[in-house]
Amino acid sequence: MKQIALYGKGGIGKSTTSVNISAALSDMGLDILQIGCDPKRDSTRMLMRGRLIPTVMDQVRERGDRAVMLDDVVYTGYGGIRCVEAGGPEPGVGCAGRGIIATFQILERLSALHGDVVVYDVLGDVVCGGFAMPMREGYAQEIYLVTSGELMSLYAANNICKAIKRLSGRTRGICRLGGVIGNGKNLDREEELITCFADRIGSALTGFIPRSQIVQMAELNKKTVIEYAPESSQASVYRQLAGTILENARLDIPEPMEMEELESLAYEFLSD
Amino acid sequence: MNSYRTEGCTLSGALSVTTAIKDGITLIHGPEGCAHHNSSLLHALMVDSGRLFAPAILSTSLTETEVIFGGEEALEDTIRRAAASEPGVICVLTSCVSAAIGDDVRAVCRDFSHLPVVVVPTGGFLGGGFSQGVEEALMALSDFGEMGEKTGSVTLIGEKNLEYEVEANYQEVSRLLSLLGISIELRFVRNITATAMKKLGSSSVNILRDPSLIRVGNFLESRFGIPFIPGFPVGLEETLVFLETVGKTLGIDSSRAAAAEKENQHRLIGSFHNFHGRVLSPGGNGPPDQPVFKELEQIFDISFEDHGKPVPIPDPLPVGTSGLSRMLHRWRRICRE
Repeated sequence: MKQIALYGKGGIGKSTTSVNISAALSDMGLDILQIGCDPKRDSTRMLMRGRLIPTVMDQVRERGDRAVMLDDVVYTGYGGIRCVEAGGPEPGVGCAGRGIIATFQILERLSALHGDVVVYDVLGDVVCGGFAMPMREGYAQEIYLVTSGELMSLYAANNICKAIKRLSGRTRGICRLGGVIGNGKNLDREEELITCFADRIGSALTGFIPRSQIVQMAELNKKTVIEYAPESSQASVYRQLAGTILENARLDIPEPMEMEELESLAYEFLSD
Repeated sequence: MNSYRTEGCTLSGALSVTTAIKDGITLIHGPEGCAHHNSSLLHALMVDSGRLFAPAILSTSLTETEVIFGGEEALEDTIRRAAASEPGVICVLTSCVSAAIGDDVRAVCRDFSHLPVVVVPTGGFLGGGFSQGVEEALMALSDFGEMGEKTGSVTLIGEKNLEYEVEANYQEVSRLLSLLGISIELRFVRNITATAMKKLGSSSVNILRDPSLIRVGNFLESRFGIPFIPGFPVGLEETLVFLETVGKTLGIDSSRAAAAEKENQHRLIGSFHNFHGRVLSPGGNGPPDQPVFKELEQIFDISFEDHGKPVPIPDPLPVGTSGLSRMLHRWRRICRE
């Protein structure tokens, strides 16, 4: 079983990227489990034809931890992909990080973590120990950073490297950086910049997804690009990315950059 | 690693104060364990000093569910449950857990402004220990005090409700004040009703249990304009100075009271003449360096050496002439054994 996690700044396109990777992998005949680890709970929506599925935390709130059963939290979507949303508290109260930890405990109890590939789609930044849960021993071994060429997105990706480095340093820490996925925002020399960033943190560019209107179209139709426009070039990009991830054997312990270093890197690629 | 008496749990410190309000309910916003171990401790110590009733403590019983989704609703429910028995005050104490998840306890309690709800911040991981809990509780409860005509009487601040000799120490301070013709208006907070706390602004001097409460003394002085004396007296000389200081603060001539007490102390010294020359070895907190032990060496000709007869040193130290007398009697019994 391959377990991968996608981390990156909020709104950078992690969910869009991960659902398309899951859909592409599923099309290859693989058994996929996608787990959304974000209280916003919209990670798997495009795999579920736009449906916001009940979250693990919703079920806990309604019926209590012990009463939650597999069918209450695992929903089958496009291509038989099993979808789970961790969910969490209402914004502004409680502890969302603890919600992620509780979700993992429940999924373990229900023996839900199986399949050929498990894809974890994790909240924008590593805000506390709870959101680092997917990186812990027994869960995702490969972390992929999703970033655009914007400085704040690179900054968030760089920050996540710190968490990967810390966790990989533990005695039985198996989590490694699998690579950097560029999600284009139509900036000049963007792919070049992200490639350079990946190199500087001791990793490599796994794939670059150019900005495309078709992504927006697919989402408005409540589908992944893979499902909505399977013949499109954008779908090919996602399929290629999924293939690269599936075959990827390069796993690194990243070396995060200093802020100044990161800024001057971004400067180098500014257009005149 | 040592765990000193003044450190430990902020929550326990605050509870030692709030559970001494006879018609009050204390609500711990935390997991049940916080309420359980504190209740057990308080109950055991209260039984020891003759109070057979379990302290009135309620828990919001936080579990992982409340940690994730927030514990504010559990707090609201528990305040309502507490209010049903119409207590004189509902003291809401936070815990490490509720503080860590950031429940806005003050905001929740403000919604119950029609009830006598007092919030005491006692999230122990924030760095405070037992003493800070005591201070926080006393300052929070001072909200009940009303500014009033000064009555020439005294309020005792922060008696140590969990100490073994709390009543004996009260009796001694009460006896000393009676020599000056002064009465104790309020014991803040020991075995009083919530209504009684209104009188906090009416006494003419506050006497702190010990100098660790100086922040509370200053706070009450700025709030109600009441001067304070920093602690109960320890040792014979300090007891005489205490009478003089209280007298001076209240504008009373203390010379007759001091003379009477000096006479009393002479009788005590006389009754221990056969104790002279004793070599004792203090137990507990190591060699005594407080002035009271120097005084004992000089007046009673006692010396403290490692090879001497082991005797216990009470903690806290004995209050006034009577406290010293009790300690000496105990030592003499041990020496005779």
